[in-house]
Amino acid sequence: MSKRLPISDIWVYLSGDPLFALIITLATYQLGYLLYVRANRHPLVNPVAISVILTCITIDVLDMPYEKYFEGAQFVHFLLGTATVALAVPIYTGFKRMQGKILHIWVALTAGSTVSIVSAVAIAKLMGASDNIVGSMYTKSVTTPIAMGIAERLNVSPTLTAVFTVITGMLGAILAPYILNTIKVQQWWIRGTAIGVGAHGLGITRAFSVNEEAGIYASMAMGLNGVISAIALPVVLSYLRPHLGF
Amino acid sequence: MISGLVQLFLWQGLGELLSKFILPGIPGPVLGLLLLLGFLAFKGQVDTDLAAVADGFRQHLGLLFVPASVGVLLFLPELQTHALAVGTALLVSVVLTIAVTAIVLKVFWYFSLKRNKGTAMQREQRHE
Repeated sequence: MSKRLPISDIWVYLSGDPLFALIITLATYQLGYLLYVRANRHPLVNPVAISVILTCITIDVLDMPYEKYFEGAQFVHFLLGTATVALAVPIYTGFKRMQGKILHIWVALTAGSTVSIVSAVAIAKLMGASDNIVGSMYTKSVTTPIAMGIAERLNVSPTLTAVFTVITGMLGAILAPYILNTIKVQQWWIRGTAIGVGAHGLGITRAFSVNEEAGIYASMAMGLNGVISAIALPVVLSYLRPHLGF
Repeated sequence: MISGLVQLFLWQGLGELLSKFILPGIPGPVLGLLLLLGFLAFKGQVDTDLAAVADGFRQHLGLLFVPASVGVLLFLPELQTHALAVGTALLVSVVLTIAVTAIVLKVFWYFSLKRNKGTAMQREQRHE
């Protein structure tokens, strides 16, 4: 006699449904976001990190394979592309304000972004990290939705890229005020631009909470940096890769 | 809100088509972004619906990369072995990125200020 407990029936039904993965993803993010707001938007209480950790624990405890989880969560993942397109709005708003600074910002973005990639790749490689990790260091300095699009094209892991980008955002948002104070930069637009290049989405949130102009410049810098990298990185790498041997 | 989303999806779709048939090197969404940017520049303003949706995406951009980041489970052993390398690389890189970007802009700003002061002084001298 094979009489199943009704609770396991419910479980079998639920876990096979994409809704389940969506619920974990959104609920843990919502919880993370509430904590973040409660903590006065302190960058250490990052809603994304909280959501990722709680989701990892949940699917690990339930013994749910990642592929299965992703089947449901892909609906959220899909929107990354749409969010990328939406970056056109802050870039446009930033452009309107720049007036005569376009060339300066362009040069600064290129310099910042190059330093970001070269330093990360060089350090990871020198300290003996695996190829998977070194590969994802190339893309981590670009805002996540664009970074993951590039990662797929460059054959490096989009997952590691996403994780590194999130950690970079947290570090950048925490450290930026100290770095900028140390080098004595007071202008909001310069502070914002630097944070947008270095700390992505989380940096922008931080910038907006301090000063609106800084926030607008940060959004613009993040989007523009993503676009430049998306176009330049594959070209540059196709020349460099054979020489670097990875 | 719906009209904003529809616009974004349309530009994304156009971008994907372009990427598929004409410019395979650039991801579709990035091309969509550029097309929308061109359209906004042509129109000269952002309509409120689109601005609202774009703002929502900007605020909760992080949510969208949760599904991919959860894949970190598959890389945990690898990351643990190389934790020090990863940590150092990310930390040094982010500090340098912010510092270099800010310093370059500061240098430009300093020079343009000097130049403006110079022309202002020349003008004053001519007036005298």
